[in-house]
Amino acid sequence: MPSQPPLPHLLVPYLSDQTDSSLTLISSILGATSNWLVLRFLHAALSSSSSPHMPIGVEDQYDGKKRKVVLVSFMRGWEFWKSEAKRLGLDLTRLSSKQQFTFVDGLSELFSLPQNTKTRLPAQHAGAPARTALPLRSQSAVPDRMPPQATPADQTSSRGSTEPIAKKLHFSGHGITALNALGRDIQTVIEKQKISQDDEILLIIDQPDLLLASTGPSQAIGATEMMNWLTGLQLDVHSTVLTLAADSPLLHNASASSNQMANPTEAEHAAFSIGLAHRARSVMQLRTLETGAARDVSGVLRISRGGGWTVGDDNLDERELLFYIQRDGGVRVFGRGES
Amino acid sequence: MAPVNLSHRRTHNMLLISKLLSLRDTASPFTLLLDSLEQPATPLLKEYIRRAKLSKVHVTLISFETLRKPDGVDAFISTRCKSPTDIMREVAECHKPATTTGPPQRRLILIDAINPLLSSRKLDPNFQLAAFLGSFITPKDPTAKADASLVVTYHSDVPGLPHQNPYTPSSLSILTYLATSIITLHSFSHILAHKAARDRSLVAPVFGLDEEQDGVILGRLDRLAGTGAAEGIVLELEHRRKSGRGVLEWYLLPPASRYSPQHVKEVVTLLDDNILYNPPMEPDTGAGDEEPKSTFELGLTDRQRREREGVVLPYFDAQNGDGPGEGGRILYDMGEEDDFDEEEDEI
Repeated sequence: MPSQPPLPHLLVPYLSDQTDSSLTLISSILGATSNWLVLRFLHAALSSSSSPHMPIGVEDQYDGKKRKVVLVSFMRGWEFWKSEAKRLGLDLTRLSSKQQFTFVDGLSELFSLPQNTKTRLPAQHAGAPARTALPLRSQSAVPDRMPPQATPADQTSSRGSTEPIAKKLHFSGHGITALNALGRDIQTVIEKQKISQDDEILLIIDQPDLLLASTGPSQAIGATEMMNWLTGLQLDVHSTVLTLAADSPLLHNASASSNQMANPTEAEHAAFSIGLAHRARSVMQLRTLETGAARDVSGVLRISRGGGWTVGDDNLDERELLFYIQRDGGVRVFGRGES
Repeated sequence: MAPVNLSHRRTHNMLLISKLLSLRDTASPFTLLLDSLEQPATPLLKEYIRRAKLSKVHVTLISFETLRKPDGVDAFISTRCKSPTDIMREVAECHKPATTTGPPQRRLILIDAINPLLSSRKLDPNFQLAAFLGSFITPKDPTAKADASLVVTYHSDVPGLPHQNPYTPSSLSILTYLATSIITLHSFSHILAHKAARDRSLVAPVFGLDEEQDGVILGRLDRLAGTGAAEGIVLELEHRRKSGRGVLEWYLLPPASRYSPQHVKEVVTLLDDNILYNPPMEPDTGAGDEEPKSTFELGLTDRQRREREGVVLPYFDAQNGDGPGEGGRILYDMGEEDDFDEEEDEI
């Protein structure tokens, strides 16, 4: 199968065109994950500066504004995003040294103690192995794509913590105060990125529902608190892209029509994701084919206008498309009945 | 409720919706908008703001989910990290009554979503929703006429919190109890699809979250097959008059691109007046009288009708009481066109 362009042309208007202070929601299910779409968003925002044929002087200018990306991931580590972006032709390490891209790691040490307490608590020594164990997962998957010197460089930088490639989030403390501290950490990263007022920052948050599910009502963090938290982040950036899980039990068990009692996670998740869909300008829903697996279709992408879309804004066409993820990571997007 | 004919509804209910949306005479101090992802209330809120601007009403938006101040809003109050008391104070502060004589400026207070407040975990257990909402519309001076209208949106598809106290009513029950008007929003294309299914006695289709399909949050695709250009919002209005009588009506609000922002005449129409929802009858079946088609002539000429009325039926004769067996005989005058057959029957 021929290799595909990094941005499927049917998706270009949806990927590159983010209006001011808009929220784009990407919902995924277990069988149709959203990583490829997030990578396309990254590429659409960053590629104009990383394409090699651009002249040096204008390389990171786009409409007179600099486009920057802050990626906060609660589900995947830095190694995953780095190697996957490389398959698309994006060098995230180079971009982050150019202050165009920042990765915030919400996965590896979210609930483990910060490093300076390591000496005090020898039992919590697992913090360090956990950090190295998680990247190993993607290292083994694509070992040949990694430059051999990258791994020790990363380890020394994170050990030395002079300039870590990825800011690591720690959920320290309890309840709302801990959540707000987490938000402030992300805000500092955003502020650091925002050098001039013209910078357009795209904030991508990968699966914040993990944070909601892992803290939850026992820490007095519910859907409303999470949404308040997100609003605080949204105010600092130009536009926001957010991914969420939308599997059936997470949405429908809590609805009024279902007869069974929903557990707190289901109820909070449903309130969180439906509430966000009410705020979002567009909702991109990924799902598998209703008719079962197919050899040449990986899933269905439905793009709808969310509750935050207004007529005056722009023309956002609602569409339903099929996509196919090839073995090399390329994605083909096409309409029903087309090939 | 007795069915009211269409022309009566056209005059009275059209007047009512135009009064409600333009906030005249504070016909409804507290309007509740029940929306869902399939038909969000944003276009209707825009319409409220547009009409308020036309009639120079002060607009306050209490924002629980709007990020930036929309056009036409005079005071924008963000509620992030604020307690209900703070919100109440800010709303009171942002509108100073004019010192000049004359009628006070009317006021519209919009709440873009009440759900986040209701499911907040920081909420004081003694929080009274009725007192909170009432504080916005009660005039400070008890003798003054109420001049504020409150419009609250409630997302009916967002699940609420389970209640701490099982005996307290749900917040939706409180809201619907307090509201003087309830507008439930529907997508026009979905209403058309429901009607098409009903006309064929099929099960009504469901959309979006109701489909309960894995990975589907929103089902609304504007170009649904067969519905054509079915744009617009269907408003299902329940208005409670001061007398206690309720008015139920279905309206259609066309999309904002169909009219200019300065349009003064009423844009809302009755749903029953819409051509797509209620297609006009074919002229020959509508106007002609109900007659089965056949090769026989079943109608009567005027002469035939007169003669038929002149016939005295036998049981009238029987009532004269000429004795048993006398009345009730069939008296028949032979006409000249009659062909009498002696063998057929005996008289």
